[in-house]
Amino acid sequence: MNHTERLQNAAPAAPTPVLDRDAVFAAIVAQPGDLVVTSNPRRSRSSRRKLTIALVVVALAALTTATAFATGAIGWHDETAIVQKPQQWEALYRAATNRLTLPPGETWPQRTLPPNTITGMSEPGGMAVAISRVRWECYWGNAIRSGDTGAQARSQAALADINANHTLVAPDGSSENVAPPANLQGPFEIFADDGGIQFVTKMYADAADGKPAMLFQSCRVNS
Amino acid sequence: MFAQFDPLVAYAARRGSRDPEGIAAETMAIAWRRLSAVPADDPRPWLFVTARNLLMAERRVARPHSQLDEATADARYPTDVQTADPLVASALRRLSPGEREVLLLVAWDDLTPSQGAEALGISGVAFRVRLLRARRRFKHLMEQLQRATDRSKLVEMESA
Repeated sequence: MNHTERLQNAAPAAPTPVLDRDAVFAAIVAQPGDLVVTSNPRRSRSSRRKLTIALVVVALAALTTATAFATGAIGWHDETAIVQKPQQWEALYRAATNRLTLPPGETWPQRTLPPNTITGMSEPGGMAVAISRVRWECYWGNAIRSGDTGAQARSQAALADINANHTLVAPDGSSENVAPPANLQGPFEIFADDGGIQFVTKMYADAADGKPAMLFQSCRVNS
Repeated sequence: MFAQFDPLVAYAARRGSRDPEGIAAETMAIAWRRLSAVPADDPRPWLFVTARNLLMAERRVARPHSQLDEATADARYPTDVQTADPLVASALRRLSPGEREVLLLVAWDDLTPSQGAEALGISGVAFRVRLLRARRRFKHLMEQLQRATDRSKLVEMESA
C-alpha cells in the first residue's frame, strides 16, 4: 500500500447519523429562501413586457380561483391541536395526499413524524402540498428540457391549482404555530408574509416565459 | 444540493468538529438563504467554504485561547484532524495547514483540484502546485516516521 492509499484509508468513517435528514431538509426549506434571485435589473424591455403579461395571467388565475394565497387575517389562530403520534401524523398526511395530485407515474413517499417531535394538525398536509409542488416543478422542468408541451401545460395547471387552492399566506406578524381559518378546506402550504410566495409565483412566470433556471434550481434543491 | 449533506458531515467530523451534523445543517440553511450565491452547476466548493468558515467559528468559540503553535497555525484552515492511523496523523500534523488542507480535500473529501482551488479561493495552478508539494512532503514524512517507528521497535525488542 503506497502512502496515498494509506492516507485515503485513514479517513475516519462518517459519524452515525443522529438527525433525521428529511426533517432537517423540511426545516431548512420551511425558512424564507433567497429573495435576491427574484431581481433581474438587466431584463430587456420585451422580456419585461412578457413577464408582466405572465404575472398578470398568474395573478388573475389566482384571484379568480377561490381561496388563493391572498387570504386576509380573519380566522387565523394559534394552533392548539397538537399531533404527537406518528400514526396520527401519517393519517393526516395520507388524507392530504388524497386531495392532491402527483405527475403521471409518481407515487407518494412514505413520511412520518420524527421521534420526540410534536407538531400542529396542519403540518402533515403542508408537507404533502410541498411534495406535490416540487414533484410538479421537476416534471415541468423535465418537460421543458424534452420539449413536451403537453406535459408543460399539465404541470402549469397543477401548480396553478396548488397556488390557488392549497397555498396560504399567514398574516403579517403571525406566530410560528399559526393555523389557517377552520372553514377553509385544506391541505395548505402556509407561507410567511415575507415574499416567499411572490418568489414562487415569479419563478413559475419566468419558467413560462422561457427562463426556467430558477425552476430547475428549485427542483434540484428541493427533491 | 442537499445530497452534499452527508459529505459535509464527514468533512466537519474529520476536521474535529464537535457537532458535524450541526455544521452541515447550518451550511445548508445558509445556502438556502443565499441560493443566488450558490453556483447551480457545482455547489460543492461553495458549500465547503461555508462549512469551513462555520468550523473555524466553532473553534474560535470552543477555544478562544488556543494552545496551538502560533507559528504553524493558520486561521484560514482547520487545524484539528481526526484519524485512527497514528502514523498518518503524525505526518499530517507536521505538514503546514495549507498543505494539509489541499491533501485532505482531495484524498478524504473527494474534491477535484478545480473544486479544491475554488473552495480555498486560490487558482487551479496554485492548488496543483501545493498539492504536489504536499504529497511529496507527506511521503517523505511517512517514510521518516516509519523508519523511526521501526527503530524504536528494534530498540524495544533488543531491550526486552
